[in-house]
Amino acid sequence: MMGPSNEAGPAARERGGVLARDLRFAALCAIGIALFPFILHPLGGYSTLATQIAIVSVASIGFNLLLGYAGTLSYGHAMFYGGGGYVAAILILRTMPDHPNVWLAVLGAMLVTMLIALLVGALTVRLYGIYFALLTLAFGQMVYFVVEQAKDWTNGDDGLQALPNAILPIGPWHIDLTAHLPSMNLGVFGDLGELRVWYVFAGIVLLLVLIFFRALTRSQFGEVLDAIRENEQRSTLIGFNAAAYRLAAFTISGALTGLAGALRALYDGSVPIDALSIDRSGSFVIYTVVGGVQTIFGPVAGTAVIMFLENVLSAKTPAWRLIEGLIFVSVIVFLPRGVFGILKRPEKNPRALFARSLRLPTEEPDPLLKPAAEGHRAGPMSIIETFKLGKFFGHFGAVRDVDFRVEPGELRAVIGPNGAGKTTFFNLISGTTAPTTGTIDYKGRDVSRTSGTARVHLGIAKAFQTASLYSDQTVRQNCRLAALARIQGPFALQVFRRSYRLDDVEAIAERAMARLELLEVADTRAGDLSHGDKKRLDIAIALATQPQVLLLDEPVAGMSKDEARKTEALIRKLSTEMTVLIIEHDMEMVMGLSDTITVLHQGTVLATGTPAEIRDNPKVQEAYLGGHSETELAHP
Amino acid sequence: MSAPAPSPSAVQTRLRVDAINTYYAESHVLRDVSLTIGAGETVALLGRNGVGKTTTLKSIVGWLKPRTGSVVLDGEELVGRDMMTIARMGISLVPEERRIFTNLTVAENLKIAQVTARKPGWTLDHVYEKFPRLRERLSHKGDEISGGEKQMLAIARALLQDVKVLLLDEPTEGLAPLIVREVENVVREIKATGITTLLVEQNLYSALAVADRCYIIDQGEIKFEGTPDQVRGDEELRRRYLHV
Amino acid sequence: MEALFQALLGGLILGLVYIAIAVGLTIIFGTLRLVNFAHGAFYAIGAYVGLVIAQNLGVGWAFVAAPIAVALFAVLLDRLVLRSFYDKAPTAQLLVTFGIALVVEESLRLIFGATTQQYKMPDALQGSATLGPITYPAYRLLFGAGVIVMLALLWLFIERTNYGLLVRAGIRDRIMVQLLGGNIRQASTVIFTLGAAVAGLVGAAATPIYGIDPATGFAFLVPSFVVVVVGGLGSFWGAVLGGLLIGELQSLTNLAYAPASQVVIYLCMALVLLFRPQGLLGESEVIRQS
Repeated sequence: MMGPSNEAGPAARERGGVLARDLRFAALCAIGIALFPFILHPLGGYSTLATQIAIVSVASIGFNLLLGYAGTLSYGHAMFYGGGGYVAAILILRTMPDHPNVWLAVLGAMLVTMLIALLVGALTVRLYGIYFALLTLAFGQMVYFVVEQAKDWTNGDDGLQALPNAILPIGPWHIDLTAHLPSMNLGVFGDLGELRVWYVFAGIVLLLVLIFFRALTRSQFGEVLDAIRENEQRSTLIGFNAAAYRLAAFTISGALTGLAGALRALYDGSVPIDALSIDRSGSFVIYTVVGGVQTIFGPVAGTAVIMFLENVLSAKTPAWRLIEGLIFVSVIVFLPRGVFGILKRPEKNPRALFARSLRLPTEEPDPLLKPAAEGHRAGPMSIIETFKLGKFFGHFGAVRDVDFRVEPGELRAVIGPNGAGKTTFFNLISGTTAPTTGTIDYKGRDVSRTSGTARVHLGIAKAFQTASLYSDQTVRQNCRLAALARIQGPFALQVFRRSYRLDDVEAIAERAMARLELLEVADTRAGDLSHGDKKRLDIAIALATQPQVLLLDEPVAGMSKDEARKTEALIRKLSTEMTVLIIEHDMEMVMGLSDTITVLHQGTVLATGTPAEIRDNPKVQEAYLGGHSETELAHP
Repeated sequence: MSAPAPSPSAVQTRLRVDAINTYYAESHVLRDVSLTIGAGETVALLGRNGVGKTTTLKSIVGWLKPRTGSVVLDGEELVGRDMMTIARMGISLVPEERRIFTNLTVAENLKIAQVTARKPGWTLDHVYEKFPRLRERLSHKGDEISGGEKQMLAIARALLQDVKVLLLDEPTEGLAPLIVREVENVVREIKATGITTLLVEQNLYSALAVADRCYIIDQGEIKFEGTPDQVRGDEELRRRYLHV
Repeated sequence: MEALFQALLGGLILGLVYIAIAVGLTIIFGTLRLVNFAHGAFYAIGAYVGLVIAQNLGVGWAFVAAPIAVALFAVLLDRLVLRSFYDKAPTAQLLVTFGIALVVEESLRLIFGATTQQYKMPDALQGSATLGPITYPAYRLLFGAGVIVMLALLWLFIERTNYGLLVRAGIRDRIMVQLLGGNIRQASTVIFTLGAAVAGLVGAAATPIYGIDPATGFAFLVPSFVVVVVGGLGSFWGAVLGGLLIGELQSLTNLAYAPASQVVIYLCMALVLLFRPQGLLGESEVIRQS
């Protein structure tokens, strides 16, 4: 038995190591933030710039969550930045002009921007590329318009001015953030007294955001976000609700940007309408891309560099914006890796280290791998049954009026000439395509309107015709993602917990790899596998979702004979534990492997029967040989 | 019906495929495939689904690039040239999916073949004579015509150009039996005009009826080369490589 | 009533400018699958080239020089930068073309300054024309007619010439065009250059009406993108319909409640994207690829 006690040793050690790394990260960040103003000073930057950079960096980090990690380009983030600023300013001016409380203003701003993000995100996260960019831009412009028009509250084009000095109440103390630090001459590095308490506060906020962001990107949530960005099709078909994850990322991103906007308004004592402008939205794109997306420090570095250029270079040359633009384009053209970071993993992966210490699974039946439901290989109930199922593309019926029934535990092959509708039929069953007519029952329950993601959780999994993998991740990580989906469900806002803390995930992944004989390559990048291993990994991923029905679309296509026979044997073993549906052209394999064969032809079922029946069925021969019987062929 | 098959050496070789190996990413799809087609010959390439027939055609026209091996047309090497150049050298592929420009009319689909032709082939009148149904459909859009008409149109596009080798990929696939007969007749007529043709078919009867010689491919390897009569007479061969 | 006519006419002229930019965007997307945020730069470069030439050599030369200069710039841009982004993700294309737009805008600012500039039309075109109940500046009417003629010529080029045939076939199936021996790469370059030249010419011609400053290119680009999305990415008539719709909507809103005239087009786009994401005349298959 595998129990928590077995793993306690290495797991605890590993967790200890992680804690040490976390602390080291926090310490490095803290030191960097503390030194930053004194590095800036000799370069010609002044003390207010340091504070501004610290604040705006928070917005860039939020923006990067969307661009770098969720993989979509928002062109409307000014709505959160300016929105946060306006909310904070209005809260102070309207509700607490005499006792301006930074906490309340900032929390209020974050809450409101979070709600805006939730609303806008709900309407936009299903769009991609230019559509997402333009729609976020559109909402940004609408917010700009509303704010500009609500003159009574916002003062229109002039923005809100002359906010009272913000006070930060902590316990019995009321800290005036505008006060200067005690004077101390640091030579070329300036004077400590040039800094206000604001910098300390902004620096602490930035530090906390960095720690939060690092935890988030390493959490289950970050792991799933990476997976969805890399391969959304696969992610939805191992059971992750991609839209929900993207919406969550958008909301967190909006709230972080709103936080920065609020702080900036309080720091400046004003909020200009420009904080909501397209240019502002564009600036986050520039900061983040220049610094490097998909990195924790990239947005901070980019913000620092560009804001430094804006403030220092602008005094020296009118060409500073051009320089900024050239830097931006150069980064994209010459350092595409920095922008679309393909090279970031494999890191020294704590998950992998931990995993290696697990003992190999034995051949005993694994209680974690729940086999097909009760009534396995028996029982009157069908596990999959379709009624008059049809899929039309315009007038073309790819699948028409298909009545199809599979018993639990069966191994059913679906064959047919090219273009017979086999893959479309599988897509209908797995839920990647919605049927035009008819229904699909799974264990007697109509699932025709259930999403593909939900069907995975009901127990239907699919391996693709062209292996659909996370090419940049290891074999183990590929399987772990599927296992994670099985354990935590379609969506979980686990922004702190790391998935290696879920004991079962590792065990399920390990088992799935073992079943497909992939343990030897467990720590190889999926993209570097041989063709046969890729196809088998795709099956292992499907297996790690612990399906009761496994759909395999041409599992041995493109494999050498030896590989094909090996895979065939593996599939035969799997079929003793679950229902398997298989599309395959390799007739030798189909005939030897399947219990029953269904022949599709021009979208309809031509015949269903045992391999022998199908072999001798004249209609089937006709379909394959093209409308002529064997006798006609022999005697033309 | 079946004329005695000339041996490849008896006629001048038009297209020679020599030991090509083609991959899809890491997947080794063609293994040392070699074919020879003499001038004026009609050669059938037979095999089941997914064994490499279409890949062979794609490797000839430059759609896929073989990693090793060569493809020679009238003494000129084709491997390494792009699709456009190979098409202009006189190799015309009628792809499996027909790939009619569905946003253009039938007339425009024909026109574009004339526009892109290096040298003209058949005249439009000749095409209309052979494919009277197309003349009736000239103003219809590509997605408004039947599957059989699409196939006729796809073949007609190829014939409007000066074709040295015509590659037909499963011309009867997905068509109703009556239409299949029509397409078979068209292929016969093309053969009668002396155009060199490589015919890829799953439809065994269609192919054997018209081919001078045939090859059988399985798992990316050529398993048999011979006459249609040999295939007809060898049930074991058919059962092993061609049947369900 | 007269104000309404004025607004309708103004909306038409504005819509025509949007259409002229949007048509280039949409054809370039259709043939190259390239989302070009730098298309506004073509407008701006055309406008400034036109400005300089008009002030020094005369207005007639401006209309010749602007499209040629922009076409040269476009070819250069395509060869040096954009070509390697054709098969990249849309987000990468957005970023790089956004960056190019930025560089062009800032270069123009350095060279020409930030102020809005205009050049004067010859006296013959200074007057007004009476059109039913209203009088309207003659040049604007001439401009509108000119853009219509240019769009008609562009349409004829696409619909009636062999080259246009190749381009339309390429929009649907680049592989098949090559299998027939068509030179799709050359056709793509030509259509990219043509789209750019059209934007450049319109930039030069529209300057007496709208003026030009370094940010104008981007300011026209964004509504033009709205036009493309509303009409349907990749569709010529979609761009025309969308342009007229957005131009009139903006102009009429300006009449009814001026402050909302900018935001109404975004509202319109948001509604279209939410309820008919492929656009009014777009085909649903295109959106998957973008």
